[in-house]
Amino acid sequence: MSAIAPEPAKAATCLVVMPARDEAPTVGSVVADVRRLLDCAVLVVDDASADATSEAASAAGASVLRLPLGLGAWGATQAGIRYARRRGFGQVITLDADGQHLPESLPVLLAEQARSGADVVIGTCVGRLSRAKRIAWQYLRVLTGLKLTDFTSGLRLYDAQAIEVLSGQEASLLDYQDVGVLMLLSRAGLTITETPVTMVPRRAGRSRVFASWRVVARYMMHTTVLCLAQIDAVRRHRTAGADPTC
Amino acid sequence: MLTGQITSAIIGIALAGAILFLVRRDHLHGPYALWWFGVAAATFALGVFPSLIAWLGRVTGIGYAPVLPIVVGLSLVLIRMLKLDIDRSRQERQIRRLTQKLAILEQELDRLGGRTSTPALPDDHTP
Repeated sequence: MSAIAPEPAKAATCLVVMPARDEAPTVGSVVADVRRLLDCAVLVVDDASADATSEAASAAGASVLRLPLGLGAWGATQAGIRYARRRGFGQVITLDADGQHLPESLPVLLAEQARSGADVVIGTCVGRLSRAKRIAWQYLRVLTGLKLTDFTSGLRLYDAQAIEVLSGQEASLLDYQDVGVLMLLSRAGLTITETPVTMVPRRAGRSRVFASWRVVARYMMHTTVLCLAQIDAVRRHRTAGADPTC
Repeated sequence: MLTGQITSAIIGIALAGAILFLVRRDHLHGPYALWWFGVAAATFALGVFPSLIAWLGRVTGIGYAPVLPIVVGLSLVLIRMLKLDIDRSRQERQIRRLTQKLAILEQELDRLGGRTSTPALPDDHTP
């Protein structure tokens, strides 16, 4: 080890984290676009893919974490966030590797964070929400008290405080980068804001949350239980005078 | 024709014997062994001395004493199942974090074995 010259860890740079499972057809071009548009390191977290996702990401210039077991979208994202914490990155931007998030949106997130000073910025595209999603989100808004328009958008920016919270053990049993994550952040007193961005239909793959009605039903039940278990925490946060959304 | 006492004694002794066998063969370890050892002792005692049930019924004020071991047994099974799910959740958390850490360390190994390096910050020492 002594042969390797140590360098100081980067303190204020950003890391783009892309969880990917079987996204070989799209991940390379998304990585290339992100690298072209942003001066950030890019990390692809390969969620035990059966195809050449890792190779495509590496070839496009990304660092790659290869999970030996599939952990799901949030497990892969948290691996990237833990990597960022370990390496001293001050910001993490997450986006999907399937091409639905336009890399051009990333500077918008950074600009919104610089403007608002929020700990978490969510890129949302309200226009893309289906009727079923609108109903689901309205239900979750009532249940959680979080005044957000899109609970599952994977296009997010986290600052150092959010990285610290989301690296912890408490976040490890969550399954999606959604309500549970937001409630955890809100409970830690962090500020969450949203900014409108443009999204396009997926080039390949499909939503892991909205894969089928059975999955949606299970998701809504899990989320309801999660919310009911944490409901007093959100109430406490609200009665303390803090608006969880701003 | 077996009497009720002999039947209950056979069931109690067989169950207690099976549990003891598993504990001795190291198929159940630590707190699990202790729990099942207790269960084996209880089934043995209640099987061989069913009059204990009537005595317990009188002590606890339950009019129909034979229902007592069923209620207590079911409650213990539910508690055991709850504990199992708690343990499974804890293990699931540990497996997820270990999987993540394994991937991170593997990436660092690859990087250190290859080109440039940036030293890692001290981690949280959790799996």
